[in-house]
Amino acid sequence: MSADPARAELDAAVIAWTREPRWTYDDARFEALALALWALQFARCAPYRRFCEARERTPADVRRWQDIPAVPTGAFKELALTSFPRERAVHVFRTSGTTASERGALLLDTLDVYEASLRASFARGVLPGLAAGARISFQVLAPSTSEAPDSSLSHMFDTVMRDVGSPDSGHWVTRGALDVPRALRSLEAAERSGDPVALCGTAFAFVHLLDELDRRGRRFALPSSARVMETGGFKGRARAVSRDELYAWIEASLGVPPARIVNQYGMTELGSQFYDSVLGDPAAPRRKLAPPWTRVRILDPKSGAPVADGEIGRIALLDLANTGSVCALETADLGRAQGDGFEVIGRDPEAEERGCSIATDALLADARP
Amino acid sequence: MTPGALRARLAALRAAGEELRKRSASSVIDALAAVLERWRDPDSPERRELARELPAATGFSPQNVREGLARGLAPWSGDALRALAERELARGGAFARGHDVTAVLLAGAIPMPALLSVIAPLALRSAALVKTAARDPITAPLVARSIAAVDPQLARCVEVVSFPGADAACMEVFLSASCVLATGSDATIDAVAARVAPHQALLRHGHRFSLALLGRAACHGAALEDAARGLALDTALWDQLGCLSPVAAYVCGDAAACRRVGEALARALEQVERALPRGAVDPRAAVLFAHERAGAELRIAAGQPVALHAAADASWAVVCEPDAAPRPAPLHRFVRVHRLTAPDQLGAALGPLAAQLAGVAVAGFGRAEAEVAISLRQLGASRVCAPGELQSPPLDWPRDGLPALGSLVGTGSETP
Repeated sequence: MSADPARAELDAAVIAWTREPRWTYDDARFEALALALWALQFARCAPYRRFCEARERTPADVRRWQDIPAVPTGAFKELALTSFPRERAVHVFRTSGTTASERGALLLDTLDVYEASLRASFARGVLPGLAAGARISFQVLAPSTSEAPDSSLSHMFDTVMRDVGSPDSGHWVTRGALDVPRALRSLEAAERSGDPVALCGTAFAFVHLLDELDRRGRRFALPSSARVMETGGFKGRARAVSRDELYAWIEASLGVPPARIVNQYGMTELGSQFYDSVLGDPAAPRRKLAPPWTRVRILDPKSGAPVADGEIGRIALLDLANTGSVCALETADLGRAQGDGFEVIGRDPEAEERGCSIATDALLADARP
Repeated sequence: MTPGALRARLAALRAAGEELRKRSASSVIDALAAVLERWRDPDSPERRELARELPAATGFSPQNVREGLARGLAPWSGDALRALAERELARGGAFARGHDVTAVLLAGAIPMPALLSVIAPLALRSAALVKTAARDPITAPLVARSIAAVDPQLARCVEVVSFPGADAACMEVFLSASCVLATGSDATIDAVAARVAPHQALLRHGHRFSLALLGRAACHGAALEDAARGLALDTALWDQLGCLSPVAAYVCGDAAACRRVGEALARALEQVERALPRGAVDPRAAVLFAHERAGAELRIAAGQPVALHAAADASWAVVCEPDAAPRPAPLHRFVRVHRLTAPDQLGAALGPLAAQLAGVAVAGFGRAEAEVAISLRQLGASRVCAPGELQSPPLDWPRDGLPALGSLVGTGSETP
């Protein structure tokens, strides 16, 4: 918990919400917490305060969470946006940064809220059907925190692995490379045992794994309880694969159907993550569900006003788990509201640019770790 | 379009190309010179139709299309083509020929490269199989029509086809031509390269970016206003989406000079917006624009020495940066102004991006201008010119370092 008593109180309130067994979307509760958290961040984070003041928004006149000024996620590349003194930071997560001038950083003075949020969302998004107290073979296509201490994704996987992973759980990426023999051994064991298994990693790592399986002519039929969680895109990578193509490939190579493949939308700058609904709500269309301590809005890129239902706009988030930095963020991603959830509109790998300028692609590559 | 139909067209092109190579090079070049003159004429049927149809198809404003065509086509005269052919293709008393068929893969929505990419193989008496760009289905068919109006036999040596880039079967037939001229993103061109055999010729025209470089003399007074007007025009034409559109201005001067350049550029962009309104902006591009603009606002709030000038309706933005480090370029009239200690520091500032430099607009270096231009060409810039002229390259501009016609020369014989 934060050493700042006012923060600690808010941390405790958010953690309590994440631990509730049922997700309840209480707007009044959310608004009260959001405004209190924003007031604290306004007071503690000077750059953010001046940003809000330039937009003529202060706690004295903002009454709705929707009016809290959102900062662009790209700003974390340049600024330490913290609501605590930097010397109190106990952990830093960094974006992978490929060709961007700097890597983004999220400084944390406590991991308590972050971990509470990730546990609740992961359990709801990826672990439905796993009995309370049960363990699952947790196989990670990403490096461990000992190899990537500043990767939020590795931290997330290791936290969940500690919580629910069976003894055979492990990482298939070591020293920056896919450990193919290890992956094959684990897949063979999973196929043989029929025990629940979760394969989790970046989309790009899955492509690498699937390439290797193709190269070796290997196919697996994992048990029907198996599930896959993938995240991240292909920005800055030499090769891009559409999500549909990836899921079909996973099904063909691992025997896990798309209905049991979950995409996670998250970013280093966020304390919370958003998972596809397919495992928890298999009868309904795939959509991303927001935890109750977050809100997602789809806004017109030019005006900033909410777009009509079903229209594409930029994704803006308010995440109460971001207690130590800034809770209101605007992303550079496009999305569309979908019922009680939302959909992230990825870049079509086949889409052609209108012009022949390279600048955007070359400079904006910003994959998350 | 089916693979079979495409194969038949390719065969017909090969036969037409055979006939074409029986003609004298000068008669073909004369015909193409007439085609170019037709395009330079704002009242020619094809030019009028392009100006009328392109805005709806591509999202550029009609004013932008008209001005872009006028400025882009002005230097592309028939005589310029004759001189270019003489310079790049003459081999004693003969002219070099191209491959039997050149497959031209078009990309993007800017018509100038499409026009030249169709004309160039013909100048070497190579038949051209042209795949239209998904973003511009208008230009290539009109170019073919203009050729037919001038020289029906030459027109039989051009086939304009359209099929999805993901259609592997059609693409395989298309890429079986002995020469492939590919434009597009690096990923597209890499994918093409992977499918082209070693015996085939492949010419790559990938994505590039351009800049401005201003010396002290261009940072105040009338010279500053001139440079800013020119840069604003270079930026506004084709909505900053072309490889010759400047994404940033590097200023060799102090912080005050950078500030003055930023202010003048903002005024000029506001003015040019009235004459050449920005066109449609894709949602993804609009998000990047808004993201970078908000990022600048936050950096200002954090006390960084950053300045932001932006239109209220987000139709343009200028961000004065405190250093020379490249930053994301959302395009669509978003220009950054960077400070540089000396012109020879540009390469270090750009780092690996320098390899993708296309053009640099230069002003304010007085007698050192020629020396600066040489260093920029050494850095990789294929076009160095004054502000306001970036989007009007001469016909012999060696785009991406490749001779406009000479790069298409095949291994065949030379004939008069």
